[in-house]
Amino acid sequence: MSADASLPILIVDDYKTMIRIIRNLLKQLGFEDVDEAADGSEALTKMRGRKYGLVISDWNMEPMTGYELLKEVRSDPALGSTPFIMVTAESKTENVIAAKKAGVNNYIVKPFNAQTLRSKIDAVFAG
Amino acid sequence: MALIDDNALRRELKDIANYIHSLRREIGALQANDLRHKRIPAAGQELAAIVKATEQASNTIMECAEAAMAADPSDPAAYKAFVADRMTVVFEACGFQDITGQRVAKVVEMLEHIEARVSRFAEATGAEDAHGPASDKEALEAERKLRLFIHGPQLDGEGVGQDEIDEIIEDQPASATQTDIDLLFA
Repeated sequence: MSADASLPILIVDDYKTMIRIIRNLLKQLGFEDVDEAADGSEALTKMRGRKYGLVISDWNMEPMTGYELLKEVRSDPALGSTPFIMVTAESKTENVIAAKKAGVNNYIVKPFNAQTLRSKIDAVFAG
Repeated sequence: MALIDDNALRRELKDIANYIHSLRREIGALQANDLRHKRIPAAGQELAAIVKATEQASNTIMECAEAAMAADPSDPAAYKAFVADRMTVVFEACGFQDITGQRVAKVVEMLEHIEARVSRFAEATGAEDAHGPASDKEALEAERKLRLFIHGPQLDGEGVGQDEIDEIIEDQPASATQTDIDLLFA
């Protein structure tokens, strides 16, 4: 099973350039319903106002990091099942393990390409 | 006996005076005000200019790509001319790499200058580093980074690649093993 093109996606990153890159890659992959947030707290507010089918989040942001956002999402019964992909430059093993334990669905290390993004989205919805 | 003590005292005071004189000379050579008011702010300005230039170049390149992807291909000649025009702008935007390279070289030169002065001062005064963070702010930031696993981008050869990440994501058991726990606290 692959992700439906109408899937509402929330991109969370504090760099507008990276949001623009991911938005364009998603557009190339057929996803048009894309929203954005500049950090974890803004993302959480948006998620409590709208149901997203997928969150694609950076790790290192202030004031709330992607890791904190992930833990908040997983501990909230209303949001807990939202698929969550971490897209980050944090490439230490302990980061990946910590994210896995916190309930991340997949993990992409920057820089990445459209094929990697596609395969990870597919893996999330196939699993 | 009192005369010997006086001489010893004079020698001690002379040594202290010489040390203070030497310390003042080394503090002067450090040119701390020059570092604080000129060189470090100048390095900061160069780095800020690099961030701005790379952001502008990225935006220009992405605007061109977006325009090319959205262009109407029904008139092949016009489409080709439009895409060629946008690609020329992309090449122009890539010129940022030359300028940022020169700016980075200036920052490296400033850092080497600062390093030389601080090294000379540390050697001349026999300075030893105090243990722990230099301020409460630094301590809080270090604690936050440790707690939230914030390391930033790794250099080539450090960190793990996408393939290794995929293995961890696919194979890592949900419950923590001692090895996992050790890794978290490594």
